Amino acid sequence: MDRLTLLTLVLMALSTYLSRILGYVLLHGRRLSPRMQRVMESVPGCVLISVIAPVFVSSEPATLLGLLITLAAATRLSLLPTVIVGVVATGALRHLL
Amino acid sequence: MSGSSRSLSSSSSLALPSSAAASARRREALRGLRDALPVLIGFIPFALVLGAQATQKGLSVLTVPLMTGLNFGGGSEFTAMSLWTNPPQVLLIVAMSFLVNSRHILMGGVLAAYLRRVSRRRALGLLFFMCDESWALSLADARKRGVAHISLPYYLGAALGMYATWVSFTWLGAALGPVLGNLEDYGCDMAFAAVFLVLLKGMWPGLRAARPWMVSLVVAALVSRLVPGAWYVAAGAVSGLAAALVLGEDA
Repeated sequence: MDRLTLLTLVLMALSTYLSRILGYVLLHGRRLSPRMQRVMESVPGCVLISVIAPVFVSSEPATLLGLLITLAAATRLSLLPTVIVGVVATGALRHLL
Repeated sequence: MSGSSRSLSSSSSLALPSSAAASARRREALRGLRDALPVLIGFIPFALVLGAQATQKGLSVLTVPLMTGLNFGGGSEFTAMSLWTNPPQVLLIVAMSFLVNSRHILMGGVLAAYLRRVSRRRALGLLFFMCDESWALSLADARKRGVAHISLPYYLGAALGMYATWVSFTWLGAALGPVLGNLEDYGCDMAFAAVFLVLLKGMWPGLRAARPWMVSLVVAALVSRLVPGAWYVAAGAVSGLAAALVLGEDA
């Protein structure tokens, strides 16, 4: 492995670790106001939904239909069956459409 | 089981023989690993694809597990591989990778409240393994049990399972290389949407309190269509946070 590759990987790993500890280091031991606590409580949902947002505006009809089926499965089923339904339905739709 | 494993372990010298505390911790770790199982299965195709992509970009088979073992963040690794050139543009790759990971800052901030009982040194070690899924599973578990701290063995069971799966299967993907086709054709990318949707269902706070989520969804979706790169994650998360701040007034 050349030196630039190693340098990139090490800096990447350091910056990733920094991103993981930064929020903790800043907020550790602080008492948040009730209002800030409510704000922080909405963060998990905001982060998760932002990560998967591109699927909601996919330009492929098969992906959008697959998402609808996955969404319906998620409201009724637990994690593993939902994953299986979502993957199988989306894969099948992509081959059919 | 009531109370966290932490309170079990700290009171174990008084209330429980240490072997009972150890077996309680093991049960918690196994529970975490079991809850993580669907996520681990979802990781495998992505890990294989990442490993294969990395070797196509010229990384050696052993460099791949080095990268995924030191970094352990799928989003930033896919971003790095998509930007990879020979020689690599070091600063561009590190900056874009940090941008993808910026959501970790908010996640760590949320977790701080759930790690009050843990020493700072220990927390800094635990946070190395924090990824979307280990974080979300542990928070969802704490909320389900109605406690304000995560179960550490549960978290470690889930997170170490994810770590081991990610590193070993990216390595396997690098070794298999171009044998693998395009896994998106098989619908594997929907696995993450499925995992996150179920987790979101578990966190659903009611229509009114979920308005910041909707803001995140709309902003992230728009930005993902309009702006190339990974800006949509940060844009969605930050605008949801801003919405929660503004809407918090009348909550």
